Amino acid sequence: MKIREADETAKIRQAYANAVPDICDVILSDCKIEKGQVIMMEETRKKKSTVKYVLAAAACLLLVFGGGFGLSTYQFNHRVASTVSLEVNPSLQIMVNGKDRVLEVKALNQDGEIVIGDMDFSGSDINVAVNALIGSMLRNGYLNELANSILISVDNEDPEKGAALQGKLTEEVNKVLESGGLPGAVLSQTLTEKSTLQKEADQYGITPGKAQLIEQILESKQGHTFEELAPLSINELNLLITTTEAEMTKVSAMGNASDKAYIGEQKAKQIAFGHAGISEADIAFYEVDMDLEKGVMVYEIEFYCGGYEYEYDIDALAGTIVKNKKEIDENHHHSEVNAGNSSGTGNKGNAGNSSGTGNKGNAGNSSGTGNNANTENSGNTSVSITLDQAKEIALNHAGQTADAVYFKKAKQDYDDGLLIYEIEFIAGSTEYEYEINAQTGGIVKNKTEAADTPHSGNTGNNGNAGNTSASITLDQAKEIALTHAGQTADAVWFEKAEQDYDDGILVYELEFAAKGTEYEYEIDAQTGAIREYKWDDD
Amino acid sequence: MAPSDNRKENCDAGQVEQCLSAMRNQDLKALEELYRRTSASVFGYALSVLKNVQDAEDVMHDLYVLVWSAVWKYSPDGKPMAWIITITRNLCLQKLREYQKRSDIPEEDWETYISGNQNMSAEDKLILAECLRTLSDEERQIVVLHAVAGFKHREIARLLEAPLSTILSRYNRALKKLQKWMEESNEDKRS
Repeated sequence: MKIREADETAKIRQAYANAVPDICDVILSDCKIEKGQVIMMEETRKKKSTVKYVLAAAACLLLVFGGGFGLSTYQFNHRVASTVSLEVNPSLQIMVNGKDRVLEVKALNQDGEIVIGDMDFSGSDINVAVNALIGSMLRNGYLNELANSILISVDNEDPEKGAALQGKLTEEVNKVLESGGLPGAVLSQTLTEKSTLQKEADQYGITPGKAQLIEQILESKQGHTFEELAPLSINELNLLITTTEAEMTKVSAMGNASDKAYIGEQKAKQIAFGHAGISEADIAFYEVDMDLEKGVMVYEIEFYCGGYEYEYDIDALAGTIVKNKKEIDENHHHSEVNAGNSSGTGNKGNAGNSSGTGNKGNAGNSSGTGNNANTENSGNTSVSITLDQAKEIALNHAGQTADAVYFKKAKQDYDDGLLIYEIEFIAGSTEYEYEINAQTGGIVKNKTEAADTPHSGNTGNNGNAGNTSASITLDQAKEIALTHAGQTADAVWFEKAEQDYDDGILVYELEFAAKGTEYEYEIDAQTGAIREYKWDDD
Repeated sequence: MAPSDNRKENCDAGQVEQCLSAMRNQDLKALEELYRRTSASVFGYALSVLKNVQDAEDVMHDLYVLVWSAVWKYSPDGKPMAWIITITRNLCLQKLREYQKRSDIPEEDWETYISGNQNMSAEDKLILAECLRTLSDEERQIVVLHAVAGFKHREIARLLEAPLSTILSRYNRALKKLQKWMEESNEDKRS
């Protein structure tokens, strides 16, 4: 049978179409919308070289006829004295001479080109140019109610002149925005340490001005990286500055960044309170911040109610719950149960809390050293001590040597966003459990108990000592947690399911993962009540 | 039954161009659409050149990321596929240069990849294996560009910088080889 060409090519096409690996999702996630990206435009204007030639010829003539005086005037008029950049998403660079007259306006990205259009600013006053450019941004919808932030960066060898120009331009921009009926948020700065900025700018494809702004934010606000902030728009960066009241030495801010593109604090609160099943009236204290979590703008909401501490991260655009966490409020708890304990212990492993100390108040801790100065943020994922070093730290602390113990477990893990080593070993009839901070080598948690007869060595020491026997089984505890999480046993994978003591109470600690989410539960082994739970979307 | 001819609509210049212009406005949906339409051509071409699935996949990834960030560089001229494949080709050549520099050419890994691919029918697997095994590199590139990406022979000649006559004769020779094999396998099935 003869095969026709069309059939043949169709079959080949089919074969290739079915052979393609599906990496679309990876690509899409690597192509996040990068608002701040600037791409240096290629120089296409030929006109420029002619102008240069004519100017050069003129300069020669001046040299011949005008002598020194003419030359210096020429230089004064044509040398770039300051470079001003304006950024919204369109990025523009304006070169001006010593008299603040425009020499050239350059677009640093495509939006910038649209803003310039066919306007020619050569020789006009900087104020006039800025006025026209901001007007064009308003007309083209780059500056609007949803995004009203603009960054002005001035680069002048003479800091005084730069500052003067910065002030003058801020005023001008505000004036234009006001007349356009848009309350703007103007950030302005004078550039310093340009060589470092230029390097960062080149690396991330942003302007040196934006690089300095990001540096400033990083200085005053911990837990973020340059890489994370680089793709954000000026408005988003400004929101981070506004909501955290970050203090910046180099950048001055006027007006408030618009958060109208987002669901708003009020709505975010409603979502969180609704999810927790609590009405706002019952809440004594809450705090709402805007922050960046894994590249997504979120509202961070923290509140305390009924002896629990709640933490929510709400996606600021979509209004979905990115993260939630409910924990016994230990301050509260201790003051009730353990009145004698007045030392201010922080909340257990609060990932976002940079000043939190990690006292877990572990009653089963017979050596009584549960305190640790854990000041790490959840962003710290790098390891600076090795597993062997961690083992040594644990052994030293336990007063044991490596050959006298049997290691049950020694591995890296995350606990509340903190990279740790989990180390468990048995020496004689004692079982030791350690969690070592993988960055600092600090002991996050330690625990000793009699081996083989778990928990029998525990003597409760804080008023709840009676609870030493479980009245619900591990399976029942699992069921409680699964029902609460809306999951079924076959849809999840249990990473941990064990009995433990927390604050002298016998509990089941459960950790399980379902598609995309990790769950952590602590269930009271006596009453079956959920003491703590935490959901984490990956 | 012959597979439906979806080449024309998949790599249709107008449709692909629409994707590209929507991508200028940072429309991720348009990128997804572009991927759906063009990934067979991009991957097929990269695999023809590199003969290593992992590297072809890398090139494909880089291609779409690059197209996304540089989409404004495309000036609509009715030949978006030529633009996309030209970038793909450059990425492949870059990979080949890297190989040469390190002087380690990765092993061909397509055989294991094909056998483990559940999206492909038995016939798909045989055809792809035959393309990779019996055709020369040039022949395979031409076949993929014509059959999968819908390039005209003239366009292939321009892309590969070879005379049209060479392209035509290579294409015909390649097709004959495959035809012969397909007929034989059809007869095998019958006997």
